[in-house]
Amino acid sequence: MTTECDQKASMSDQESITNFTVPAVAEETVAPLSDRGETVFALEDVSVFYSAFKAVREVNIGVRANEITAFIGPSGCGKSTVLRCLNRMNDLIPGARVEGKVYFYGTDLYGSDVSATEVRRHIGMVFQKPNPFPKSIYDNVAFGPRVNGVKKKDELDHLVEKSLKGAALWDEVKDRLKTSALGMSGGQQQRLCIARAIAVEPSVILMDEPCSALDPIATARIEDLMREIKSRFTIVIVTHNMQQAARVSDRTAFFTTEINPASDRRTGVLVEYAPTKQIFSHPSDIRTEQYVTGRFG
Amino acid sequence: MNELRKSFHTELDHVKSELVRLAASVTESISRATQILLDQDLEGAEYIILGDDEIDARTLDVEEECYQILALQAPVASDLRAIVGALRMSAEIERSADLVVNICKASRRIYGHELDPKLRGIISKMGEQAQVLFGHAIDAYVEMDEAKAASIDDMDSYLDGLQKQFIQAIFESHAAGNVDLQVAVQLAVVARFYERIGDHAVNIGERVRFMVTGWVPEHDGAARHRARQAVDLTPVGGIPVVKSSVSLDTSVRPFTPPDERI
Repeated sequence: MTTECDQKASMSDQESITNFTVPAVAEETVAPLSDRGETVFALEDVSVFYSAFKAVREVNIGVRANEITAFIGPSGCGKSTVLRCLNRMNDLIPGARVEGKVYFYGTDLYGSDVSATEVRRHIGMVFQKPNPFPKSIYDNVAFGPRVNGVKKKDELDHLVEKSLKGAALWDEVKDRLKTSALGMSGGQQQRLCIARAIAVEPSVILMDEPCSALDPIATARIEDLMREIKSRFTIVIVTHNMQQAARVSDRTAFFTTEINPASDRRTGVLVEYAPTKQIFSHPSDIRTEQYVTGRFG
Repeated sequence: MNELRKSFHTELDHVKSELVRLAASVTESISRATQILLDQDLEGAEYIILGDDEIDARTLDVEEECYQILALQAPVASDLRAIVGALRMSAEIERSADLVVNICKASRRIYGHELDPKLRGIISKMGEQAQVLFGHAIDAYVEMDEAKAASIDDMDSYLDGLQKQFIQAIFESHAAGNVDLQVAVQLAVVARFYERIGDHAVNIGERVRFMVTGWVPEHDGAARHRARQAVDLTPVGGIPVVKSSVSLDTSVRPFTPPDERI
């Protein structure tokens, strides 16, 4: 039963935040690369500063729906920084500042009326090191839905099962849902984190080096999983592993660093953003060619 | 354990199935070209000649797919052999399609000239045998059957024999005044086309053996060469010995026309 109080609460929520209109995406129909035109993120001249230091400058990128977009480049090139702009994780770093515009389905993410918490509800994140909560497997996945107000047990059960199946983990853990998530292998923990991220049904999942702590088999499982779930989510992944970007992504953005002669500090810069097969077979920028062939980096 | 990298394996399967389809259409066109030659069917010849553009386009697509797989998926072990083998096989198939076109072009050149029954009979047999060899090569590829692939080389000697018989028959027919010199030359060239199609089938068989075992017949020759070199470094096989005072200019080589491009 919805009480008047609940209605008021939700009304005030709506007033205080921008209500994103995320278009529903058909689950099974995935159009070929060239036909998928819908832009999820549009970055226009995005520069990120850590206090006075310009970490990355003037990035222009359009991330498309239901694709896997990979950010690659040498250390310090700003790829993680740009990724963290996409769900306002940089807000949590003192002194961090974003210039330019980041549009999410046409909404300015850094607009004054936009709540960072609401942004992160739509744009989930998976980190380098698997970070399950010290709770049971079930409670990890149910955490987000519970915060969002799902209370009924059968509804939660259904969500947990659906999310664990979505993360290709259900068959491995269905008999021990109540045991601690910390007892799982690293690869399983990372898939649990993906299950936890998709449990709140975001439209985008950001992945920051999701496989760098995993062995090759667990890595292959995560990569397979990414391919499976991209029909329902848009994925942006930062990876140090060029081959991983080559294997899984549809589009690749290559960042590098350039030295600012005035301050002698390195600033990240976007060099090339193109379909992955182009980046790895005939890139248009000589710096990309040199990086992917291992002649520089 | 569940299968990993499924989408990559699907791409590998796609390359194979497309190559098989291409090879099958070449196999089919061999018998059609033979019939065109025997019936002096100019319209049919035109049809095959035009159709070759499609074979070229599809071969390029398969090769592009192979490049993408090599560039993006870093295949190893049997997957690597499958892709490298497929790339080389695609060239064999494409070249065979060109030879079928050449047969059709030759049929236009001999248009209006009657061939005696003996010549017609051998042409028919050569066409059949070339088709059998090519079909056998695809079967070996589909089934990844090393023994079947190896048998193509033996089967090819029958086609080589038919070619010799045919050349002899051309001489006899020419001597009897049944075919004039121009037609005789065209027919000799046609025999060569069939024989080369057989050779390409043998090559496909060798690629299949390479995919299955990593071995090709050239490995035996290479091993013999290394064994000889271990004992005596003097070059053998007609390669001129270059005196140490003379530098070998590798940029200038006598031009040797490829034997099959006529």
